[in-house]
Amino acid sequence: MIQATKNYFRFLWRCARIAFVGDWRYYSWMGVLTVFCLLGLNAYCKQFAHGLITTGMSDEVSWGVYIANFTFLVGVAAAAVMMVIPVYLYNNEELHDLVIFGELLAVAAIFMCLAFVTVDLGRPDRFWHLIPGIGEFNFPASMLSWDVIVLNGYLILNVHICGYLLYCRYQKKMPAKWFYIPFVFLAIVWAISIHTVTAFLYVGLGGRPFWNSSIVGPRFLASAFTAGPALIILAIQVVRRVTAIRPEAYAAQQQAAAAARQAMAQRAAILEDLELLARHLPAFAAVTNETRLSLLPSLAVFDVSAGSVLLRQGETDKHAYFVLKGRIVVEREESGRHRITRSAGPGEQFGEVSALAGTPRMATAIAEEATQILRVPAEALRQLMKTPAMNKVIHARMAERLMITDRALMTLRGIVQVSMLINVFLLVCEIFKEFYSGNLHGISAKYLFVGLHGHHALVPWIWTAIALNLIAMVLLILPVSRTLKWLNLTCVLAIVGIWIEKGMGLVIPGFIPTPLGAVVEYSPSLNETLICLGIWAFGLLCYTIFLRMAVPILQGRLTKANEGMSDEQIAAEFAVAPSRIQSHV
Amino acid sequence: MSVPTNPTGSGMNRRSFLRTSAVVTTGLAALAASLKPLMEMKDFPTAERFMQKYYKELTAAEMENVLARITNEVEKEYGLRPHVRDYKPKNGVEFVYCLNLTRCIGCRKCVHACVAENNQSRNPEIQYIRVLKMPHGSLNLEEAQHNYDPEQVPEKGFFYMPVQCQQCKNPPCVKVCPVHATWQETDGITVIDYDWCIGCRYCEAACPYWARRFNWTRPEIPKERLNPEMSYLGNRPRRQGVMEKCHFCIQRTRQGKYPACLEVCPTGARKFGNVLDPNSEVAYILSTKRVFIQLKEEVGTSPRFFYYFDV
Repeated sequence: MIQATKNYFRFLWRCARIAFVGDWRYYSWMGVLTVFCLLGLNAYCKQFAHGLITTGMSDEVSWGVYIANFTFLVGVAAAAVMMVIPVYLYNNEELHDLVIFGELLAVAAIFMCLAFVTVDLGRPDRFWHLIPGIGEFNFPASMLSWDVIVLNGYLILNVHICGYLLYCRYQKKMPAKWFYIPFVFLAIVWAISIHTVTAFLYVGLGGRPFWNSSIVGPRFLASAFTAGPALIILAIQVVRRVTAIRPEAYAAQQQAAAAARQAMAQRAAILEDLELLARHLPAFAAVTNETRLSLLPSLAVFDVSAGSVLLRQGETDKHAYFVLKGRIVVEREESGRHRITRSAGPGEQFGEVSALAGTPRMATAIAEEATQILRVPAEALRQLMKTPAMNKVIHARMAERLMITDRALMTLRGIVQVSMLINVFLLVCEIFKEFYSGNLHGISAKYLFVGLHGHHALVPWIWTAIALNLIAMVLLILPVSRTLKWLNLTCVLAIVGIWIEKGMGLVIPGFIPTPLGAVVEYSPSLNETLICLGIWAFGLLCYTIFLRMAVPILQGRLTKANEGMSDEQIAAEFAVAPSRIQSHV
Repeated sequence: MSVPTNPTGSGMNRRSFLRTSAVVTTGLAALAASLKPLMEMKDFPTAERFMQKYYKELTAAEMENVLARITNEVEKEYGLRPHVRDYKPKNGVEFVYCLNLTRCIGCRKCVHACVAENNQSRNPEIQYIRVLKMPHGSLNLEEAQHNYDPEQVPEKGFFYMPVQCQQCKNPPCVKVCPVHATWQETDGITVIDYDWCIGCRYCEAACPYWARRFNWTRPEIPKERLNPEMSYLGNRPRRQGVMEKCHFCIQRTRQGKYPACLEVCPTGARKFGNVLDPNSEVAYILSTKRVFIQLKEEVGTSPRFFYYFDV
């Protein structure tokens, strides 16, 4: 127990340390974000001292960009988990590797939501009045009390799921299904509930006809499922790009590999090799001696030096490999970039997917140091997998990789496409209802879309939003958005469009005109804008740190096994530094 | 396997130590600079105020302490010793307001009497009553003029409608408050515990009558204008960041007096009383007058504030 706790804290400590390691791009990015965070903090301290008078809000428009951003980000948090649905309900393999990114985004988005609500409070020092048990909690009457519960619950759920899966991956242990699958399903339902509850915050107000409409809930979900996956499409491409190996480094690596290839020694496998494997792979112990003996003639052992290429992406051959000593990395090329998808140490396999399926190699495997590997033909691997323990382990390890494929992005594009169509349809429904009937309750919509009594601050905004959404919709329908460049543009348009439509376009006009018919406009003050930027910078900072920790764990480069390795080595863009290869050849 | 820069091996070298300390020092300095505006804060919550319990959980003795503390705080700030009490609702009382739209001339005397009585902030200005100037023949609030300023009232072709908290039987503001900081008392007055409100302004968004006001900054009341007759749930000075609104002058009406807005009204348009008392003026009006308006009846709030015409 004490050892387990110690291991866990060691894991946290190593994660924390890796967050401070990176190249100059990483440091400049984090530096810029920190500056914005501090500017935001400074602006918030002013607001804390002088009150919300430092904002553009008034008794007429009593919520502004804080709550607008909050509403948008609840949607992002909810939608980020939607990627879980295809993976766990329909066993979509492509998205599997991206689930963690989605959930980490959800966590960062909720941090931002909580920050936005906090800065909107007039008395943040009295936050404890909201804590059930200590304060006075108006549950279930107040939708805000529901929001407190669902948002914090959602935060805990997602932290638990990603934390647990990453810790298992770090330990190279199989996650216990009962310890996370029920929470995954709960999180799916919960994701829908957080956004519905946030919609109900507005819908429940009978005195504000602009909000008091049952379509707000469905519209929130539709726009969230557009903006959320769109944000993930962009985020994971950033991950892809920054985890890619720089061309110079790759070329050096290739040269070194060519020199190293001669140093590959092959021999027939002997029983001692299998015992060595069993020592590192306990499941192998369950394989009977008869099986071992019958398979032995088909197995071969290779001793390779650092930098040797063991198998190459695109080739077809029916062998899988187990590492006996040393360490290998697997790197994959897609869209002209090379990326490390996994890393394997003693007892771990590689090359098994294409061996079993007979498909071309998905990636290239390279020895990271002097390494001994056991080559197993596909037929022999199938024999081994007849032992249930081996079957389980090999299947589990197949999923242990970090592969962000273009196909996964296209699956996300499909989600964005459908949601955007529904979103625009619901918007049309709303506009029709507000304008065709011509009743007095449509007055806020009139202010929003065409202006009222000479006031039209929001008119350019909403038409920009509608234009962006329509262009994004058309692009999503056209095949042109299957290319990443256009898809990225589409995602940016959709995110900006929805941010305006849902934030400024929903929250502000609800207050204009006031229930007594006065038209008072709102625009955020500089201080308020700085606070918003600060919170966004804080959210991005959190997400960057989360990814900084998660990526090496998912690649198998930050593991319990390599505790002695320095942070720089783990964070290096290529495990085999050219200088190291030369020393071995 | 030798890697030239291994920080875990030979300990931190001189250069990286200097670099780290430079980064940490700059970071701390930047953080301190960011936090500096906190020094400008005039009204930092004391531990006692931070820990103060919810109104309904205060025992009689604790309430006495709180009232004594408030008395001292007000005296310290305004140089005048106030008389702060916590007036409880009486049994068999339900307050109702009736306002005669035929008589109201839109002079806004009620607005200013209310500000003076209830210690509302003069800067920025907070007013509980908003008088609407409406064209004859319409009750459409979209047509209302809020900032009318003629030489003389009333103006031809218009009538005037003062709007304040309607003390709803079914108040949306109470329903939405996440911390029970606002509630309806047995005599029908919806009150706010100013020391419990977290300032989320959800009630302000929920109110269909735009009756709630927020203290966007520290309220300012000139010392000589302070009304020293105060009640806990009523007109004691508020702090920055909390809601307030009309409470039917709880410090007066629970002692059998009329609200300030009624007393000042030059035309007698305002009537107030206990509707459960059959001999009260309001009971008489509600049982004899024929045309009543409950503002925004369709919202289902069921106001205790009735507008009527002399017909």
